[in-house]
Amino acid sequence: MAADPKTRFLVVDDFSTMRRIVRNLLKELGFTNVDEAEDGAIALQKLQGGGFEFVVTDWNMPNMDGLTLLQTIRATPTLKHLPVLMITAEAKKENIIAAAQAGASGYIVKPFTAGTLSEKLNKIFEKYGQA
Amino acid sequence: MSASNDSADLEALFDSIATDYQPVAPQPAPQPAPVPAATGDNDELQALFDSVASENVAPPPAAAGEGQADHPDNWPQQEAVFNRIGQMARILHDTLGQLGYDKLIEKTVSALPDAKDRLAYVANLTEQAACRVLNATDIAGPLVDGMESRSRDLGAAWDKVFANQMSPEEFRALAVETRQFLKQDLPGQTKATHAQLTEIMMAQDFQDLTGQVIKKIVMLAQELENGLMGLLIEVLPEAKKTEEVTNLMNGPVVNAEGRTDVVVNQEQVDDLLESLGF
Repeated sequence: MAADPKTRFLVVDDFSTMRRIVRNLLKELGFTNVDEAEDGAIALQKLQGGGFEFVVTDWNMPNMDGLTLLQTIRATPTLKHLPVLMITAEAKKENIIAAAQAGASGYIVKPFTAGTLSEKLNKIFEKYGQA
Repeated sequence: MSASNDSADLEALFDSIATDYQPVAPQPAPQPAPVPAATGDNDELQALFDSVASENVAPPPAAAGEGQADHPDNWPQQEAVFNRIGQMARILHDTLGQLGYDKLIEKTVSALPDAKDRLAYVANLTEQAACRVLNATDIAGPLVDGMESRSRDLGAAWDKVFANQMSPEEFRALAVETRQFLKQDLPGQTKATHAQLTEIMMAQDFQDLTGQVIKKIVMLAQELENGLMGLLIEVLPEAKKTEEVTNLMNGPVVNAEGRTDVVVNQEQVDDLLESLGF
């Protein structure tokens, strides 16, 4: 998968402000095909509807947290191939390790910069391009 | 108290159902009637009751069974329980009083709703500010983009002039357009952009207000912490004191100083992942 500007993103965060910021940053990077979900449960519903190619998710959310969402995605045959980038305020080493072990494609700690998001996205696109 | 009202209603309901359903065991029917909160209380009450009863042989524990608890026949036993709870509360109150915690708890109980309101106020103001800023950038973005593309187009046209690729009429039109852009369009758009920058600046006015509110809550939290720490140190068994709470949802690290279990920036995240082979 190359960095196709038509790549369909799902941005998952319980704060609308953060969803808006991520959406704006993605737009700056040329990705305008973005949908939003306010927690893991809603995200999963949307993902199961199909059509998404990239998930950007927060960790700490009501109903279903980001790690559980990630684990569920990896355990679902139709979704497990999806790149999942975590953007979270959780900065404990055990969080990062848990996310990596659960199959996160990238991990960004908040507060973050536009440059970091761009770098991580490129890295993930590169990796998925090779695979 | 609402609890006693509920009991009276429940009792009446129970009686009416019990008379309808004579041959059947009376306990299952009245279950749906109590408000949901009451069932939680019942469990706690039951546990407390059991512990009291095992100590004090007189009232049989079965008497407080759910569903039967409100039956009139059980009132004497219930009364014994309530008396006992009353005594325990009294002892607790006296003990806390002797330790000097009664004032603290009183203060805490009255301060917490206030702190809750204050925090809600902070959340509200910061959210408003975030929305104002995002709205401003949404408005300013297209303005700046417009200026950029307009000047790029004009620049390209002027390149043609310098390359002698333009007729006198075209040149004339370009000169008029450029003049219009410089004298009217550009200043209008920069002014509009500037207004949005001012809006972004003004959206920061929450900081002063939330700062004051947060300071108050920090003070309250400190008092609370001091009091509760004292209480915990006296009450907790030694083994519990060193137990660490492990949890994966802690929110942002507010103070990373002296901690080795957290990362403080993206480089450390990347280094950690790399060292693990991810």
